[in-house]
Amino acid sequence: MASAAIEDAAGTAPAKSVLRADDVAVHFGGVKAVDGVSIALTPGRIFGVLGPNGSGKSTLLAALTRLVPLTRGSLEFDGRRYDTVRPHTIAARGVARTFQTVRILPGRTVFDNVALGAESAGAARKAERSRARQRVRVAIERTGLAGKERHRPDELSYGYQRRVEIARAIASEPTLLLLDEPTAGMNRQERDDITGLLGDLRGEGLTQLLIEHDVQMMVEACDHLFAMNFGELIADGEPEAVVRHPAVQEAYLGKQGRAHA
Amino acid sequence: MIDWYFSHIVLIQSTLTTLLLALSVQVPLRAGVFSFAGVGCYGIGGYIAAIGMVHYGLSTATAILLAAVAGGVVAYTLGLLIQRLTGLYLAMATVAFTLIISVLVVNGGDLTGGAAGLFGALGMLDTGHLLAVAAVVVAGLTFTEIGPLGRRVEAVREDPELAAAMGIDVARYRRATFAVSGVLGGLSGSMTVLLRSTVTPDDINFHLVVLALTIIIVGGSRSWIGALVGTVIFVWMPEVLAFVGEWEDVVYGVLVAAAAVYLPGGVTGAAVDGYRKYRRKRREAADTPPDGPSPHPAAAGVGGDS
Repeated sequence: MASAAIEDAAGTAPAKSVLRADDVAVHFGGVKAVDGVSIALTPGRIFGVLGPNGSGKSTLLAALTRLVPLTRGSLEFDGRRYDTVRPHTIAARGVARTFQTVRILPGRTVFDNVALGAESAGAARKAERSRARQRVRVAIERTGLAGKERHRPDELSYGYQRRVEIARAIASEPTLLLLDEPTAGMNRQERDDITGLLGDLRGEGLTQLLIEHDVQMMVEACDHLFAMNFGELIADGEPEAVVRHPAVQEAYLGKQGRAHA
Repeated sequence: MIDWYFSHIVLIQSTLTTLLLALSVQVPLRAGVFSFAGVGCYGIGGYIAAIGMVHYGLSTATAILLAAVAGGVVAYTLGLLIQRLTGLYLAMATVAFTLIISVLVVNGGDLTGGAAGLFGALGMLDTGHLLAVAAVVVAGLTFTEIGPLGRRVEAVREDPELAAAMGIDVARYRRATFAVSGVLGGLSGSMTVLLRSTVTPDDINFHLVVLALTIIIVGGSRSWIGALVGTVIFVWMPEVLAFVGEWEDVVYGVLVAAAAVYLPGGVTGAAVDGYRKYRRKRREAADTPPDGPSPHPAAAGVGGDS
């Protein structure tokens, strides 16, 4: 299925991409989890990847962070190819991520978990420690975790555990933030708080790529959407236009559902 | 006190050398590496120290240093060879390595003394030397348990994929644990042999693997304190359980089984969990207003801690 690019009102002149993926494919045996996806992320904007369950969104994120090997295609970050590097080198280039399921150290406090992100860029050296601690405090403050620094994950609600993941990611002061369902399990107020935080980070020039099921949240939060189904890109462009795209409606609602929509 | 010390000097010295052996298995476990290579390096260290003193007339310090370096180099090389293995497969490979060492020394001819082993390797070692080595090792390992390095080691153990996303070279950490494990095994083996003055192939058997593992299961696997607690329990248990006579092995088995079932984090883990629960209760009590929780739902906050 060919990608249907929709005219993006904001994007006239092509800006230099923070991240560019060309013809990326990830196949597991005969399963084409991602097949021929090309995306380019320009600086200071929030991009979203939308798609039903099993559409290949999380595998695409794993490919972008080198956690799964590419079957085909190339990856560029800041103009430099990185499709053969080992996964741990991605953080040093300025890429931070959160995971689909909460992944935080169970035996450590909120502060320690966030510090793991702040120290990811080699801040373990003594001279960097105080700066890292400052970054931890700022990240904790910004994600609404102030007062919970000494709590352990099992003392926090799921929504707060998600915040710890986001705080850990932003504590590394990344150039690109990849968020896999950042508001899953959160109530409306918490979701709005996180959407507001992501908007603030965009205002500071941070490029973000979100993966979410929540169409409304994606339309509200993102500047540009990519829609996927069966491992392929089926549409990309302005959020409102993408969610109205027939291929996207069909992917979410099926043919009959689209007729009634 | 002095009388007590001299009557228990063997147990005291054995505690210190066994602690190093237990740490040689605990260090990789703390990074999620199920390896017994340290036990094999205990054998390598013991034989290198004995060969060095008996055949080449090395000094005690040189023999111990050589044994530690050899243990580290061999374990690091083994780590490179089997770095793709994980879990039980890795454990089996390292147990096989230990057994291979015992076979090699049996067939080592005059160099290793064959099945009879080597005699006359009496080192100039006293409890003070052992304490100093143990203190340096413990101080070094403490740095791997606290601060940024402690967090990183824990991330490597708990979630290697997360650790990689945080910029941690997981494979490098795993290889480093092999090297440290080998050094600790080499130190323990060489000092044990130089205290006893003899080494035989029977000294490097599967029993050492079981001993190191049970020490860590009962004492605790997350901190050197756990290794120390477990070592004290198992080195001194025969002395304490002398009154049960031939039932000693049964009591030993029951204690290990009970610890595995009821103390998953070992004695140290249970103590730490108890302390955390106590602090949590104190914090919750401090957070609760004197009149009790507010009856107004809004006061509880939306999306707060569950």
